[in-house]
Amino acid sequence: MEIQWSLVLFTCLSGAGAWLLACAGLDAFRGLTRKATAPAVVAALVLIVVGGLASATHLTHVDRIMAVLAHPAPGIFLEALLLGIDVIVGVVFLALVKREGSEAARKALGAIAVVMAAVFSFSCGSSYMMASQLAWNTVALPLGYLGTAAATGTALWYLLCAALKEDGPALAFAAQETLVGGVAALVLALAFGFASGAAMGADALTFWVGVVLCGGVVPAGCGLMGMKKSESALQLAVVAVVGSLIGSVAFRVLMWLASVTLMNLFGATI
Amino acid sequence: MTMARNCIVVNLDRCTGCFGCEVACKMENDVALGQRWSKVFTVGPVGEYPDMTRYALPTMCQQCEDAPCVSVCPTGASYRDKDNVVLVNKEQCIGCKYCMMACPYGVRSWNADEGCVEKCTLCGQLTSQGKQPACVKSCAAGARFYGDLDDPESAVSKELAKYDEKDIHVLRDAGNKPATRYIMTDMIGTWYDRVEPRGGHQTAAYPVED
Ligand code: SF4
Ligand code: SF4
Repeated sequence: MEIQWSLVLFTCLSGAGAWLLACAGLDAFRGLTRKATAPAVVAALVLIVVGGLASATHLTHVDRIMAVLAHPAPGIFLEALLLGIDVIVGVVFLALVKREGSEAARKALGAIAVVMAAVFSFSCGSSYMMASQLAWNTVALPLGYLGTAAATGTALWYLLCAALKEDGPALAFAAQETLVGGVAALVLALAFGFASGAAMGADALTFWVGVVLCGGVVPAGCGLMGMKKSESALQLAVVAVVGSLIGSVAFRVLMWLASVTLMNLFGATI
Repeated sequence: MTMARNCIVVNLDRCTGCFGCEVACKMENDVALGQRWSKVFTVGPVGEYPDMTRYALPTMCQQCEDAPCVSVCPTGASYRDKDNVVLVNKEQCIGCKYCMMACPYGVRSWNADEGCVEKCTLCGQLTSQGKQPACVKSCAAGARFYGDLDDPESAVSKELAKYDEKDIHVLRDAGNKPATRYIMTDMIGTWYDRVEPRGGHQTAAYPVED
């Protein structure tokens, strides 16, 4: 199938934003950073909204979009709903941070942000699980969406912490989160590669270099190194962000390229 | 809502592969150049001599009982009407193409001018007046039938009743339960439930080896 760039950008950007918000939320529990939370939440909100707008460019009749709201179903409705909830979570969290609201409230919002990141990034992939799409009809697909989004979001958080010159412990923990995100991307993308056959198919190079190496090994490696030495945090974080972004895009591109339909009798392209 | 199973039944023992149904459909429904709601394939030749199979396979929306196109549609534009027929309300379609991805047979087409999805409507404009769908009416070989599988008096039920269960086939079912039946006896050869066109707009198709 043809690559649907609007949808690639949507899940890539919004997913990364949701996980960036989750990292900021997690910091409500650890309290390690001094400056990164507010800019991270703002950046996350921008990413989530820009991703949502990108998805709308996929449609020929945006003017009829309200019909989606009148017809609750999995897929677009669920994605739009979760995206909206995550934006609200981000805005409320930002207000609490700015106004130095109660710690308990910040922790509660932080926890919701983490859960929302997982649920939202998974849901974006689960919309594509269809019996007609043989290579996509595996739970490894939404898990791969989740993993690659987590890698990008955690790497972005690491980058923000490094750029704002947070302290050693904050940077080490951000590096640890990047390691976890990278490993999640690596393991879950590998699972999809083998479950779908994409790991051995015509686009194996995109898979092994783009998804596995750039999207998984690179951020995981940067995270691992960053946990040990915080001096080169900025360089490591930049590499982790670039790698995980490439990986996240490559994973979604691969999904379209590796599609195997049960039958496509009329040869109509999507 | 009456729970009918209206669909097209094709008797492949009778079909000559003349493409008349495809043309009649385009004319009746004003289907754009390059698009089809109904398409005839020539499956094969396949097999080892002398056990060769080659048959014409007219295809269109299979009117699935558990239609995935309906369940994935985010707006309800893909829906079932009061007679249980799967249709597209083009005025509600936002052009997300989910239904095209979800249809196991790829029998939905894209109307680029209107920016929405279309497909075989079973010629509701004709059947509501007691007439036959254009493809059924035009079939020179008398190979196409229209009606309700659940009504023993319908043309489809009567034709199917003439044949053994083993000679009645459906396209590969991915859980969507296609309603359209194909009649084909071993006079013609082996039935293949999953075929692949050689190229997008070509009419030659070959069985997929799973
Ligand atoms: S054949 Fe395709 S378009 Fe027709 S009802 Fe089944 S899924 Fe829908
Ligand atoms: S393309 Fe139109 S008919 Fe198909 S799922 Fe989207 S809104 Fe529904």
